[in-house]
Amino acid sequence: MSEEDLKKAIEQGVDAATTTVQKKGRLVVTVPKAGAVSALILLKARGFEHLSAISCTDWLEQGEFELVYHLWSYADRIHVMLKTRLPRENPRTVTASPVFRHAQTYEREIHEMYGVHFEGNPRLTPFLLDHWQGPPPMRRDFDTRQYVQDTFGSIPSVEE
Amino acid sequence: MDREEILKMLKSPANWGQKYSLWVVYFCTGCGVIEIPPVITSRWDAERFGVLPMATPRQGNLFLITGYVSLKTLGAIIRTYDQMPDPKYVVGFGSCPVNGGMYWDSYNTIKHLDKYLPVDGWIAGCMPRPEAIFMAVVHLWQMIDKGIATGYKRYKENYGYYERNQREILPHLAKFGRVETTAGRNS
Repeated sequence: MSEEDLKKAIEQGVDAATTTVQKKGRLVVTVPKAGAVSALILLKARGFEHLSAISCTDWLEQGEFELVYHLWSYADRIHVMLKTRLPRENPRTVTASPVFRHAQTYEREIHEMYGVHFEGNPRLTPFLLDHWQGPPPMRRDFDTRQYVQDTFGSIPSVEE
Repeated sequence: MDREEILKMLKSPANWGQKYSLWVVYFCTGCGVIEIPPVITSRWDAERFGVLPMATPRQGNLFLITGYVSLKTLGAIIRTYDQMPDPKYVVGFGSCPVNGGMYWDSYNTIKHLDKYLPVDGWIAGCMPRPEAIFMAVVHLWQMIDKGIATGYKRYKENYGYYERNQREILPHLAKFGRVETTAGRNS
Protein backbone atom coordinates (compact mmCIF):
# COMPACT_ATOMS: atom_id res chain seq x y z
CA MET A 1 0.00 0.00 0.00
CA SER A 2 1.37 3.41 -0.93
CA GLU A 3 1.26 6.51 1.23
CA GLU A 4 -1.44 8.07 -0.98
CA ASP A 5 -3.70 5.02 -0.71
CA LEU A 6 -3.27 5.03 3.03
CA LYS A 7 -4.08 8.72 3.19
CA LYS A 8 -7.31 8.13 1.32
CA ALA A 9 -8.24 5.18 3.49
CA ILE A 10 -7.67 7.11 6.71
CA GLU A 11 -9.57 10.17 5.59
CA GLN A 12 -12.52 8.05 4.52
CA GLY A 13 -12.45 5.83 7.59
CA VAL A 14 -11.96 8.33 10.40
CA ASP A 15 -14.03 11.43 11.01
CA ALA A 16 -12.24 14.76 10.75
CA ALA A 17 -8.85 13.23 10.18
CA THR A 18 -6.30 15.26 8.30
CA THR A 19 -3.38 13.44 6.79
CA THR A 20 -0.18 14.82 5.34
CA VAL A 21 2.53 12.84 3.66
CA GLN A 22 5.71 14.34 5.10
CA LYS A 23 8.05 12.36 2.91
CA LYS A 24 8.32 8.86 1.55
CA GLY A 25 7.41 6.45 4.28
CA ARG A 26 6.17 9.00 6.79
CA LEU A 27 2.62 10.13 7.44
CA VAL A 28 1.27 12.58 9.98
CA VAL A 29 -2.34 11.99 10.88
CA THR A 30 -4.19 14.48 13.06
CA VAL A 31 -7.44 13.32 14.57
CA PRO A 32 -9.74 14.72 17.23
CA LYS A 33 -9.57 13.06 20.61
CA ALA A 34 -12.67 10.94 20.04
CA GLY A 35 -11.29 9.44 16.82
CA ALA A 36 -7.91 8.31 18.10
CA VAL A 37 -8.83 4.76 19.04
CA SER A 38 -10.85 4.14 15.89
CA ALA A 39 -7.91 5.39 13.85
CA LEU A 40 -5.67 2.97 15.71
CA ILE A 41 -8.04 0.09 14.98
CA LEU A 42 -8.17 1.07 11.31
CA LEU A 43 -4.41 1.30 11.04
CA LYS A 44 -3.85 -1.95 12.87
CA ALA A 45 -6.19 -3.71 10.45
CA ARG A 46 -4.06 -2.34 7.62
CA GLY A 47 -0.85 -3.85 8.86
CA PHE A 48 0.37 -1.28 11.35
CA GLU A 49 1.03 -3.88 13.96
CA HIS A 50 3.84 -2.15 15.83
CA LEU A 51 2.97 0.67 18.20
CA SER A 52 6.51 1.74 18.98
CA ALA A 53 5.75 4.56 21.40
CA ILE A 54 3.20 6.97 22.72
CA SER A 55 4.66 10.35 23.48
CA CYS A 56 3.12 13.36 25.14
CA THR A 57 3.95 17.01 24.53
CA ASP A 58 2.92 19.83 26.78
CA TRP A 59 1.78 22.83 24.73
CA LEU A 60 1.52 25.18 27.66
CA GLU A 61 0.76 28.33 25.63
CA GLN A 62 -2.13 26.67 23.82
CA GLY A 63 -3.37 24.93 26.94
CA GLU A 64 -3.21 21.49 25.39
CA PHE A 65 -1.45 18.17 25.62
CA GLU A 66 -0.57 16.42 22.39
CA LEU A 67 -0.44 12.64 22.33
CA VAL A 68 1.51 11.09 19.46
CA TYR A 69 1.09 7.41 18.67
CA HIS A 70 3.98 6.11 16.59
CA LEU A 71 2.96 3.20 14.39
CA TRP A 72 5.08 1.18 12.02
CA SER A 73 4.08 -1.20 9.29
CA TYR A 74 6.61 -3.91 8.56
CA ALA A 75 4.95 -4.84 5.26
CA ASP A 76 4.73 -1.32 3.80
CA ARG A 77 7.63 0.25 5.69
CA ILE A 78 5.59 3.30 6.60
CA HIS A 79 5.80 5.25 9.84
CA VAL A 80 2.55 6.88 10.91
CA MET A 81 2.44 9.54 13.58
CA LEU A 82 -1.08 9.72 14.87
CA LYS A 83 -1.53 12.98 16.71
CA THR A 84 -4.36 14.03 18.93
CA ARG A 85 -4.82 16.91 21.31
CA LEU A 86 -6.39 17.04 24.76
CA PRO A 87 -7.26 20.04 26.89
CA ARG A 88 -4.72 20.70 29.61
CA GLU A 89 -7.42 21.14 32.23
CA ASN A 90 -8.59 17.70 33.31
CA PRO A 91 -6.95 15.78 30.46
CA ARG A 92 -8.84 12.56 29.80
CA THR A 93 -8.95 10.21 26.86
CA VAL A 94 -9.78 6.61 26.09
CA THR A 95 -7.13 3.96 26.52
CA ALA A 96 -5.56 2.22 23.52
CA SER A 97 -4.78 -0.90 25.51
CA PRO A 98 -7.54 -3.12 24.02
CA VAL A 99 -6.01 -2.50 20.59
CA PHE A 100 -2.35 -2.70 21.55
CA ARG A 101 -1.85 -4.46 24.85
CA HIS A 102 1.50 -2.88 25.56
CA ALA A 103 -0.01 0.60 25.30
CA GLN A 104 -0.94 0.04 28.93
CA THR A 105 2.65 0.68 30.02
CA TYR A 106 3.11 3.77 27.86
CA GLU A 107 -0.13 5.19 29.17
CA ARG A 108 0.87 4.42 32.70
CA GLU A 109 4.03 6.42 32.27
CA ILE A 110 2.24 9.36 30.63
CA HIS A 111 -0.28 9.28 33.43
CA GLU A 112 2.50 9.51 35.98
CA MET A 113 4.58 12.13 34.21
CA TYR A 114 1.82 14.37 32.82
CA GLY A 115 -1.28 13.46 34.76
CA VAL A 116 -3.27 12.43 31.69
CA HIS A 117 -6.05 10.05 32.65
CA PHE A 118 -6.70 7.15 30.30
CA GLU A 119 -10.21 5.83 30.79
CA GLY A 120 -10.32 2.07 30.74
CA ASN A 121 -6.67 1.50 31.52
CA PRO A 122 -6.78 -0.94 34.44
CA ARG A 123 -3.37 -0.10 35.82
CA LEU A 124 -2.81 3.61 36.24
CA THR A 125 -0.80 3.07 39.39
CA PRO A 126 2.52 4.71 40.35
CA PHE A 127 5.19 3.49 38.02
CA LEU A 128 8.71 4.91 37.97
CA LEU A 129 8.51 7.49 40.70
CA ASP A 130 8.59 6.28 44.26
CA HIS A 131 5.86 7.65 46.52
CA TRP A 132 5.61 10.84 44.52
CA GLN A 133 3.58 13.53 46.23
CA GLY A 134 4.08 16.57 43.99
CA PRO A 135 2.41 17.51 40.71
CA PRO A 136 3.25 15.48 37.59
CA PRO A 137 6.89 16.36 37.03
CA MET A 138 7.11 16.52 33.24
CA ARG A 139 4.53 19.28 32.92
CA ARG A 140 6.14 22.48 31.86
CA ASP A 141 4.63 24.52 34.64
CA PHE A 142 6.27 22.25 37.23
CA ASP A 143 9.13 24.30 38.65
CA THR A 144 11.89 21.72 38.97
CA ARG A 145 14.46 23.96 40.62
CA GLN A 146 12.02 25.24 43.20
CA TYR A 147 10.98 21.66 43.92
CA VAL A 148 14.62 20.60 44.30
CA GLN A 149 15.26 23.53 46.62
CA ASP A 150 12.26 22.65 48.76
CA THR A 151 12.82 18.90 48.81
CA PHE A 152 16.56 18.37 48.93
CA GLY A 153 17.74 21.75 50.23
CA SER A 154 21.33 22.79 50.26
CA ILE A 155 22.41 22.19 53.84
CA PRO A 156 26.14 21.55 54.30
CA SER A 157 26.92 18.21 55.86
CA VAL A 158 27.20 17.65 59.60
CA GLU A 159 30.67 16.23 59.31
CA GLU A 160 33.85 18.17 60.07
CA MET B 1 56.29 -7.68 54.10
CA ASP B 2 58.45 -4.86 55.37
CA ARG B 3 59.19 -4.18 59.00
CA GLU B 4 56.87 -1.19 59.35
CA GLU B 5 53.97 -3.37 58.35
CA ILE B 6 54.82 -5.83 61.13
CA LEU B 7 54.73 -3.03 63.69
CA LYS B 8 51.38 -1.82 62.39
CA MET B 9 50.01 -5.30 62.47
CA LEU B 10 51.11 -5.86 66.05
CA LYS B 11 49.65 -2.51 67.04
CA SER B 12 46.22 -3.32 65.78
CA PRO B 13 45.73 -6.72 64.16
CA ALA B 14 42.08 -6.02 63.54
CA ASN B 15 42.76 -2.86 61.56
CA TRP B 16 45.42 -4.66 59.61
CA GLY B 17 43.02 -7.41 58.74
CA GLN B 18 40.18 -5.11 57.84
CA LYS B 19 42.17 -2.86 55.63
CA TYR B 20 43.39 -5.66 53.38
CA SER B 21 39.99 -7.23 53.02
CA LEU B 22 37.74 -4.47 51.81
CA TRP B 23 34.84 -6.41 50.43
CA VAL B 24 32.58 -4.31 48.30
CA VAL B 25 28.86 -4.79 48.45
CA TYR B 26 27.90 -5.55 44.90
CA PHE B 27 25.20 -2.94 44.72
CA CYS B 28 24.94 -0.98 41.52
CA THR B 29 23.25 2.38 41.82
CA GLY B 30 23.93 4.28 38.64
CA CYS B 31 26.01 4.49 35.53
CA GLY B 32 29.21 4.51 37.60
CA VAL B 33 29.02 0.79 37.98
CA ILE B 34 30.22 0.46 34.40
CA GLU B 35 33.71 0.98 35.83
CA ILE B 36 33.38 -1.91 38.26
CA PRO B 37 33.65 -4.88 35.83
CA PRO B 38 37.10 -3.83 34.55
CA VAL B 39 38.17 -3.15 38.11
CA ILE B 40 37.28 -6.55 39.48
CA THR B 41 38.34 -8.54 36.43
CA SER B 42 41.80 -9.31 35.11
CA ARG B 43 42.61 -5.97 33.51
CA TRP B 44 42.95 -4.09 36.80
CA ASP B 45 42.33 -6.96 39.19
CA ALA B 46 41.09 -5.37 42.38
CA GLU B 47 41.92 -8.50 44.32
CA ARG B 48 45.54 -7.31 44.45
CA PHE B 49 44.22 -4.77 46.95
CA GLY B 50 42.04 -7.24 48.75
CA VAL B 51 38.95 -5.70 47.17
CA LEU B 52 36.34 -8.23 46.23
CA PRO B 53 32.71 -7.86 45.22
CA MET B 54 30.38 -9.49 47.69
CA ALA B 55 26.89 -10.64 46.99
CA THR B 56 25.27 -9.75 50.28
CA PRO B 57 25.60 -6.78 52.60
CA ARG B 58 26.26 -9.11 55.54
CA GLN B 59 29.59 -10.04 53.99
CA GLY B 60 30.67 -6.61 52.82
CA ASN B 61 32.37 -3.75 54.58
CA LEU B 62 32.92 -1.27 51.77
CA PHE B 63 29.97 0.37 50.09
CA LEU B 64 30.70 2.11 46.79
CA ILE B 65 27.85 4.41 45.81
CA THR B 66 28.46 4.30 42.09
CA GLY B 67 26.68 7.15 40.45
CA TYR B 68 23.45 9.07 40.81
CA VAL B 69 21.12 8.08 43.60
CA SER B 70 17.44 8.27 42.87
CA LEU B 71 14.98 8.34 45.72
CA LYS B 72 13.97 4.75 45.13
CA THR B 73 17.62 3.67 45.22
CA LEU B 74 18.32 5.68 48.34
CA GLY B 75 15.77 3.58 50.21
CA ALA B 76 17.56 0.43 49.13
CA ILE B 77 20.96 1.94 49.95
CA ILE B 78 19.89 2.85 53.47
CA ARG B 79 18.43 -0.58 53.96
CA THR B 80 21.62 -2.23 52.70
CA TYR B 81 23.85 0.01 54.79
CA ASP B 82 21.90 -0.76 57.93
CA GLN B 83 22.46 -4.46 57.33
CA MET B 84 26.22 -4.26 56.94
CA PRO B 85 28.32 -5.28 59.94
CA ASP B 86 30.72 -2.83 61.56
CA PRO B 87 33.24 -1.57 60.61
CA LYS B 88 31.84 -0.35 57.33
CA TYR B 89 33.03 2.32 54.96
CA VAL B 90 31.10 4.32 52.39
CA VAL B 91 32.77 5.86 49.37
CA GLY B 92 30.86 8.10 47.01
CA PHE B 93 31.92 7.35 43.47
CA GLY B 94 31.58 9.99 40.78
CA SER B 95 30.29 13.51 41.01
CA CYS B 96 26.60 12.65 41.38
CA PRO B 97 26.65 11.51 45.02
CA VAL B 98 28.85 14.52 45.88
CA ASN B 99 26.54 17.31 44.77
CA GLY B 100 24.09 15.89 42.28
CA GLY B 101 26.45 16.18 39.31
CA MET B 102 24.55 16.59 36.09
CA TYR B 103 21.35 15.81 38.00
CA TRP B 104 21.72 18.91 40.14
CA ASP B 105 18.21 20.09 39.26
CA SER B 106 16.55 16.72 38.83
CA TYR B 107 13.37 16.15 40.80
CA ASN B 108 14.09 12.53 41.62
CA THR B 109 17.74 12.24 42.62
CA ILE B 110 19.31 13.26 45.89
CA LYS B 111 22.00 15.93 45.82
CA HIS B 112 24.10 15.31 48.93
CA LEU B 113 24.67 11.74 49.91
CA ASP B 114 26.27 12.71 53.21
CA LYS B 115 22.98 14.09 54.47
CA TYR B 116 21.62 10.56 54.58
CA LEU B 117 24.66 8.34 55.19
CA PRO B 118 28.10 8.98 56.69
CA VAL B 119 30.60 9.04 53.84
CA ASP B 120 34.26 8.25 54.42
CA GLY B 121 35.58 9.42 51.10
CA TRP B 122 34.73 10.72 47.70
CA ILE B 123 36.02 9.92 44.25
CA ALA B 124 35.43 12.92 42.03
CA GLY B 125 34.94 12.71 38.31
CA CYS B 126 32.44 11.69 35.74
CA MET B 127 33.43 8.91 35.20
CA PRO B 128 36.38 8.30 37.47
CA ARG B 129 38.92 5.94 35.95
CA PRO B 130 39.47 2.52 37.55
CA GLU B 131 42.80 3.83 38.84
CA ALA B 132 40.84 6.35 40.88
CA ILE B 133 39.15 3.50 42.69
CA PHE B 134 42.55 2.12 43.69
CA MET B 135 43.69 5.53 44.82
CA ALA B 136 40.58 5.71 46.94
CA VAL B 137 41.33 2.27 48.36
CA VAL B 138 44.86 3.33 49.28
CA HIS B 139 43.55 6.52 50.87
CA LEU B 140 41.08 4.44 52.80
CA TRP B 141 43.94 2.24 54.04
CA GLN B 142 45.72 5.32 55.34
CA MET B 143 42.56 6.51 56.99
CA ILE B 144 42.05 3.15 58.64
CA ASP B 145 45.66 3.21 59.86
CA LYS B 146 45.14 6.63 61.37
CA GLY B 147 41.78 5.63 62.79
CA ILE B 148 39.83 8.37 61.02
CA ALA B 149 37.63 6.22 58.78
CA THR B 150 34.93 6.28 61.41
CA GLY B 151 31.79 6.85 59.38
CA TYR B 152 29.96 4.00 61.05
CA LYS B 153 30.62 5.52 64.47
CA ARG B 154 29.43 8.93 63.33
CA TYR B 155 26.27 7.29 62.03
CA LYS B 156 25.52 5.96 65.48
CA GLU B 157 26.46 9.18 67.27
CA ASN B 158 24.51 11.45 64.90
CA TYR B 159 21.74 9.03 64.11
CA GLY B 160 19.12 11.64 64.94
CA TYR B 161 20.43 13.92 62.22
CA TYR B 162 20.62 11.18 59.62
CA GLU B 163 17.24 9.76 60.53
CA ARG B 164 15.62 13.17 60.32
CA ASN B 165 17.01 13.71 56.83
CA GLN B 166 16.07 10.22 55.72
CA ARG B 167 12.57 10.56 57.10
CA GLU B 168 12.13 13.92 55.41
CA ILE B 169 12.39 12.54 51.89
CA LEU B 170 11.59 8.85 52.46
CA PRO B 171 8.86 8.76 55.09
CA HIS B 172 7.60 5.45 53.72
CA LEU B 173 10.72 3.40 54.54
CA ALA B 174 9.95 0.15 56.29
CA LYS B 175 12.22 1.01 59.19
CA PHE B 176 10.06 4.02 60.04
CA GLY B 177 7.09 1.71 60.41
CA ARG B 178 4.69 3.58 58.17
CA VAL B 179 1.82 1.79 56.50
CA GLU B 180 1.61 1.93 52.72
CA THR B 181 -1.07 4.48 51.89
CA THR B 182 -0.26 5.95 48.52
CA ALA B 183 -1.72 3.37 46.15
CA GLY B 184 -3.85 4.98 43.51
CA ARG B 185 -2.55 8.48 44.07
CA ASN B 186 -2.72 10.71 41.04
CA SER B 187 -5.75 8.92 39.74
